[in-house]
Amino acid sequence: MSDAPVTLSIRETLAGKHILLTGASGFVGKVWLAMVLNDIPQIGRIYVLLRGKGRGVKERFEKILNESPVFKPLHEAHEGRMSEFISQRIEVVAGDVSQPHLGMDTETEARLRRDVDVVLHCAGLVDFNPDIREALSSNVEGAMHVADFVESSDHASVLHVSTCYVAGHRDGFVTETIVTDRSPNGTPLHAADEYAKLQEIIAGVQAENDDPATEVNLREDVVRRLAERGHQGDYKRVTDMVGRLKRKRLREMMAKAGTDRAKALGWPNTYTYTKALAELLLECRSDRVRFASFRPAIVESAMEFPFAGWNEGFNTSGPLVYLAGTWFRHVPAAAGNALDVIPVDSVCRALSIVLCALIRGEASQVYQCGSSDRNFLPVDRLTELSALGHRQHLRKHGSDALERLVLSRWDALAADPEHVLNVTNIRKLMGQVTRYLKHGMPEKIPSEVREWADDLSKTTDSGVRKLRQIEDVLEMFMPFTYQHFCVFQCRAIDRHPVAEREFRFAPEDIEWRSYWLDVHMPGLRRWCFPEYEDKPKETYAPQTPFRLLDAPVPESGESRSHAPQPAREEAG
Amino acid sequence: MSAKPTAAFFRAEGVLVSSGVMQAAMFMAGQRAGMRERALRFGQALASAPLFGLLGQNDRTLGNRVAHLCYRDMTEDRIVVLAEEYVDDVLSEKILDSGIELLRRAKADGHRIVVLSEGISEIMERVREKWRYVDDLVCNRLEYRAGKATGKLLDPVIGGYEGGKWLSQYAAVHDIDLSRSFAYAGHGPDLLLLSQVGHPCAVNPDFTLRKAAREADWPLMDYKA
Repeated sequence: MSDAPVTLSIRETLAGKHILLTGASGFVGKVWLAMVLNDIPQIGRIYVLLRGKGRGVKERFEKILNESPVFKPLHEAHEGRMSEFISQRIEVVAGDVSQPHLGMDTETEARLRRDVDVVLHCAGLVDFNPDIREALSSNVEGAMHVADFVESSDHASVLHVSTCYVAGHRDGFVTETIVTDRSPNGTPLHAADEYAKLQEIIAGVQAENDDPATEVNLREDVVRRLAERGHQGDYKRVTDMVGRLKRKRLREMMAKAGTDRAKALGWPNTYTYTKALAELLLECRSDRVRFASFRPAIVESAMEFPFAGWNEGFNTSGPLVYLAGTWFRHVPAAAGNALDVIPVDSVCRALSIVLCALIRGEASQVYQCGSSDRNFLPVDRLTELSALGHRQHLRKHGSDALERLVLSRWDALAADPEHVLNVTNIRKLMGQVTRYLKHGMPEKIPSEVREWADDLSKTTDSGVRKLRQIEDVLEMFMPFTYQHFCVFQCRAIDRHPVAEREFRFAPEDIEWRSYWLDVHMPGLRRWCFPEYEDKPKETYAPQTPFRLLDAPVPESGESRSHAPQPAREEAG
Repeated sequence: MSAKPTAAFFRAEGVLVSSGVMQAAMFMAGQRAGMRERALRFGQALASAPLFGLLGQNDRTLGNRVAHLCYRDMTEDRIVVLAEEYVDDVLSEKILDSGIELLRRAKADGHRIVVLSEGISEIMERVREKWRYVDDLVCNRLEYRAGKATGKLLDPVIGGYEGGKWLSQYAAVHDIDLSRSFAYAGHGPDLLLLSQVGHPCAVNPDFTLRKAAREADWPLMDYKA
């Protein structure tokens, strides 16, 4: 018998299939949804799970489709018929992955259990070090609730979107497997025990915060501070302030507890730790829940779909690229380390391939989706490309001569974190200058100079705060840029050759220079940097706004599956 | 009369553009990543300038090799981006309109247009986009290893006496009738190139070529723009 992989047709496999999508408002979820609707109109029904209730959920979905540029190609292809086209293929379901039964009402859940062929679970909290309760609820319990749904469904399986960085603090070649018995630093680990341990940690932090002694200390602190400012706080005011402080303290302690636990086990942050825990818990149920874990690396700007350069929010390379365009020069990065970047549309194509493999019962357990194994991009090259991209931009569009002539040539460099001009040393130096300007000036200097020094100290003080933020960002990315040399195996997907060329996953075809300079950086500049700078974001407004029709006549999956027509033709 | 096609060969430096490889090398060296590298490589390029000038009227192969050493360890990404900047900001101001007019006329006369340049391909390919009449561009190529220039030029190095040998091979491959072909060049080492065509022309020639052209009774052209 031949072991040759069977070529699969994405369109034929997904025709008439019903998919439950979580995380549709996220970066990957939106692009996948738009791509499938654009390229596979013969899809059965996509149930989009969104948080909220009743009409509010539908309005939220309409807002996403009407404001996000991701759906521009769809609007342009369907123009006046967009509402009809989408409503025939999408059902928005009110729910919440962090709730049992995915927060769905009983009738809907029962219907979906019968109908759904596969769940694409993209929902998750992607903040690196959030409140551990939120990370647990979203990343771990969310996955478990999806698994519960799949286990009780008639025939569904689940594609769980995780991250390559569940590998944690480790070096070398990371294979496409789930390590079930130990953490990245070798600590023995059992998924259920770890989940219980995490709940214990949360309960401990909560108990400490609820301790009456904590409240007494906080109250004393508040009263003292108010007195220092000359205020006499009444009981209600003090109680309100203590309540706020307790909540803030609890959030901070919860975030720290998560980070501490993650680091103790060898994960760089809470995000990767909770994503890894979700994988481990899913694996424990692999005899009852048919699942595949999909691990994208660093998901970045689209190559082509919805259009070249599409990106949004705070992503991994964005802050680093942004820094490379400032006066800050020494990016802590080890020459030769990979920063595994993969365009979002490549990720979405890979998602569709693995979904098909799951539907056909041919899926592997883990799929890593990155570029380091197939088209290596070292972080020092990326740093130089970022500097060159800023150079190209500033030369022509710098706001003044200083930017056009000097900043454009002020190249960022990959450097050792201990470099004498590292951000910590610069911050310390600037802090000392600030202190001198504020308190260290001789008494005898003229008042004009003193005023000038006061003004200058405000500028340097603000600089110190900004440098502190930069320091935090760099520390967050250090595991990826400096500490570890990881190459993520990305071969499982090759077991599923694809018939349609436009759905093939081929990171080896990416030409990094043109991608970085002509696609990614202009995309970041347009869609992400305004957010970093608190500037208004560009939105999209279609000519005919989309409305989710309440009672569209759903075309049966079977009938559509026999009429495979490209979206553009349907638009005509 | 021969039915073979004819060609017009142009040496870029001195005929089509007024700036040469030393300016490009110094520009690139001055834009290296990091202040120390910039200073070091710019100094290196500066130091190689006299040697290049000394050899300029004879065999420029060694001069070219020395001038291009300042590219050593420079990434291909940086060279490509800086080449674009160099062409847009520097070289576009140095293009000689009279030379471009020669190109245009040669093309109108039905000749195959071949440009030879000592410049590196990253720069010259971009310039070629601006010269619409060029059929073939032959220029120097940097050697790269792991995405970084080694500082060496790949053979054959354009600029030396190899130009004449190369021209014979080119004519054989493309079945060019050299006796009815034209060549325009301005440097001493181009003597062999010019001597192989039926219609040589010394353009803005240096001392060596001017003397030889006069003795051979070749046409001379001088222009500055």
